Amino acid sequence: MPAELKEKTEPTAPKVMRTPRSLVIEITARCNLRCRYCYFFNNPAMVYRDLPTGEWLSFFDELGSLGVMNVTLAGGEPFIREDLPVLLEGIIRNRMRFAFLSNGALIDDEIAGFIASTGRCEYVQVSVDGSCAEVHDSCRGRGSFDGAIRGIRTLQRHGIGVAVRVTIHRNNVHDLEGIAHFLLDELGLPDFGTNSAGYMGTCRVNADGVLLNIEERKKAMATLLRLTAKYDGRISANAGPLTEARMWRRMEEARSEGKPAFHNGGRLTGCGCPNNKISVRADGAIVPCNMLAHVELGRINRDSLADTWQNSPALNQLRSRHTIPLTEFEFCAGCSYIPYCTGNCPGLAYVLTGAVDHPSPDACLRRFLEEDGAIA
Amino acid sequence: MNQTDRPIANPVVVLREEFDDWAVLFNPDTADAMGTNPVGVAVWRLMNGKRSVEDIVSKIGDSFEDTPSAAREEITAFVNTLAEHGLVGLELGRE
Repeated sequence: MPAELKEKTEPTAPKVMRTPRSLVIEITARCNLRCRYCYFFNNPAMVYRDLPTGEWLSFFDELGSLGVMNVTLAGGEPFIREDLPVLLEGIIRNRMRFAFLSNGALIDDEIAGFIASTGRCEYVQVSVDGSCAEVHDSCRGRGSFDGAIRGIRTLQRHGIGVAVRVTIHRNNVHDLEGIAHFLLDELGLPDFGTNSAGYMGTCRVNADGVLLNIEERKKAMATLLRLTAKYDGRISANAGPLTEARMWRRMEEARSEGKPAFHNGGRLTGCGCPNNKISVRADGAIVPCNMLAHVELGRINRDSLADTWQNSPALNQLRSRHTIPLTEFEFCAGCSYIPYCTGNCPGLAYVLTGAVDHPSPDACLRRFLEEDGAIA
Repeated sequence: MNQTDRPIANPVVVLREEFDDWAVLFNPDTADAMGTNPVGVAVWRLMNGKRSVEDIVSKIGDSFEDTPSAAREEITAFVNTLAEHGLVGLELGRE
């Protein structure tokens, strides 16, 4: 199109998108499982209450009017909602696509067939934490492995995209090779993602038995790097040991060779989510992210989502987090990795330090090395 | 029934206008997305199955300053690209 044409009315100067492109929506606070590291339960910020069907349908109408492109349905366990087909019809009617975050156990042929018939499902993410029931069920409860695999096979049978997420913890860090073989070779998945249990929700209660210690983190990083090479990039991560192994290796190389600062280094740039997505809790509270469930920005069907998105002081403060230099923090004083560090996840920073505008200690390379860590 | 030269926007396609000078056309059935500028947005809004491409070019000329001579070709190419991606159709008319 002729880009040089000048519109006769002056457009408003932009800062962020007019409306979010995507949302993560916890459509239920109920779950059939009680996993030992669940971030959702035992979170003092959560209100464990489900909204009626009509509330969600009204909200989906609003999302449609705003041009939202896709929603990720989470919980709790989203497949526990008896009215799920009605909710999906509301999403489809409003010209959106959808995805799920699930434990897989409640997925049957009926709902899988319905989802497939819509043609709008991006993927269903199912959590698998072991190559066998003994490992997987150690944190997720008896029978949960069989349920997850049954769910995955049902989705595959209906031609629905399956995205498996492996959460790495103390009980499965020794099983990573077996997990990769099981998921990629036996189940025939194209790929899978990894992260690790974080100090949130129920995990805080069970931290000693769940969270990786330094030796286990080192083992996980080395194993995942090896498996990623073996499986030619079919193992991915946005957080957890694999991400840390890659990022920390780059940081150490840059520091030791005296390279210039990374383009996003030296400031709290670790999270760009508030610029294109937003979340809704099961009770209808609008929050920046499921990891920041205590930051209530508004309430669906009471507050305009567009207005909240554009004008919420708390959200705009979060968006300006990237301007805060790491040199401001006592925690970072004297650190030679500052030019290459992004401060990582504000959600983890909050649960570990009580401050959102703080680097996450869990992602600190210097601290990891001081505690006898080593870069894989 | 024959195809006319009167393009009509696919009603399932979402137009997402952003704050800066671009927008996204998104087809939720295929997940295809295409970025466009303010002129493309204006063209999109004019494609109601009643206006010909010629009508649309004329309307654009009324709405934008200094319309270049290549505007007709560019708008025609844009409409054709949208049609190839299933974002617009051509209205059926009676002979």
